[in-house]
Amino acid sequence: MFIRTIRAERMKLRRSPVWLAFFALPILPAVMGTFNYQMNIEILQDKWYSLWTQHTLFSCYFFIPAVIGVYCSYLWRLEHTHYNWNAAMSAPVRVGYIYLAKLIMVSTMVILTQVWTGFLFILSGKLIGLDNPIPPELFSWLFYGALGGIVISALQLFISLVIRSFAIPVGMALVGGIAGLAALAKGYGIWFPYSLISLGMHGNGPADEMQYSSGQLIISCLLFTGFFILLAIIWLGKRDVKTV
Amino acid sequence: MIKALAIEFYKTHRRKIFLVVMAMIAAQLMWALWSFSRMDVRDLEQGWISSLFQFTLLNSLMMPVICAVVASRICDVEHKGQTLKLLNTIIPSGHIFDVKFLCGAFYMILAVLFQILTILITGYLKGFNGEAPFELFGYYLLFTTAVNLSVLLLQQVLSLLFTNQMVALTVGLTGSFFGLFSLFFPQSFQKFVIWGYYGVLMFIGMDWDRATRITNYYLTPIDWAGFVMLMVQFLVLYIIGRVIFSHREW
Repeated sequence: MFIRTIRAERMKLRRSPVWLAFFALPILPAVMGTFNYQMNIEILQDKWYSLWTQHTLFSCYFFIPAVIGVYCSYLWRLEHTHYNWNAAMSAPVRVGYIYLAKLIMVSTMVILTQVWTGFLFILSGKLIGLDNPIPPELFSWLFYGALGGIVISALQLFISLVIRSFAIPVGMALVGGIAGLAALAKGYGIWFPYSLISLGMHGNGPADEMQYSSGQLIISCLLFTGFFILLAIIWLGKRDVKTV
Repeated sequence: MIKALAIEFYKTHRRKIFLVVMAMIAAQLMWALWSFSRMDVRDLEQGWISSLFQFTLLNSLMMPVICAVVASRICDVEHKGQTLKLLNTIIPSGHIFDVKFLCGAFYMILAVLFQILTILITGYLKGFNGEAPFELFGYYLLFTTAVNLSVLLLQQVLSLLFTNQMVALTVGLTGSFFGLFSLFFPQSFQKFVIWGYYGVLMFIGMDWDRATRITNYYLTPIDWAGFVMLMVQFLVLYIIGRVIFSHREW
């Protein structure tokens, strides 16, 4: 049944242009980050590592959370409009499956975005002629970044489920990202869902020692994701839906 | 027209748009207060202009999204309720476009006024040197509002024309990105996109000395040509947006 729910989600998204946002938005930080790197090449001397900070610095805090917010809002909007909740809730499917299927769709998108970000990073490094080898940590940055992204997805899906507006959850994601920056600066990064992505991606300086061990990071990601899934399932189970 | 405007405010009455704007401004405030809390004597000396500088930076990052959220909140009701067809029978569609814009503009102007109020309060509490430079605040109000309203207009056009609000919000996010990044780029680049005008119309420059770690703020000449260019863009957007919206079959 769960597989069929996922397939239904995929059908809903089939002709929608959502992937375009995920495709286009990472290009911006890549191009502008590379440009910025070239302009400040005398200060930024760590080659690949410096380039990475320029690519990820702003996108981790402000843009990835908000883009995930847009995507999650879109997924629930399909149900919030046109009396679709009635159909969704009367289908012989557990409510949790609906949420989980959507989470899987967003997570897939997050993972693909990470792959795309990595590809753009390597491409722009090669284009500007960085000749030393690509940092071996790149894979782990992308991996932990994806984990952090999934945490945000779970949270944003919950917010967009509760708040039936499209725009407000996106605004909350942006504010969340900024608050994430503050939490990170204060050293509470691991306790705050929006900071996990920049912790994972080493946005403020890949050469630095990691603030937390990767085990701590994974546990935090899993706990947060589990918690938001639980919240969403409880909400779906207890609350009566509002159509229109 | 007045009645239509009143109806617009009536519609937003329980949609808590003001709360949304305030929440975003509150996030800005936290940021500002955090940076004010670390001020030393030197910073206090140039407190007024440094805070105007900081707020412009924050605006170029956050205002595009705030505009997108406000515009989407105001326009999306009609898509959700499929009321545009109905509205068009009683109000000319051009008027709908205008009142929606005025309604959004009201919230955006309030937001800037609120920012200035906060700078004033924190300034007097922290004891910034000298009298508050009201002339500079006037320019800040004028320029920030001009850019905000242009961005709001763009967002409104998108939110009205595309039922799928994702389009408008994605453009808003892209705008934030451009706004922020264009600050690091030369002026000629900033003038290309509407979101770059937060930087174009910024009248405070900053010097950061790497060796001494001292930051110096100074006034730069105001780019009136840039302001005129922004106004032209605003007018073009307004005319095109209004015409397309009016001729659309709902």
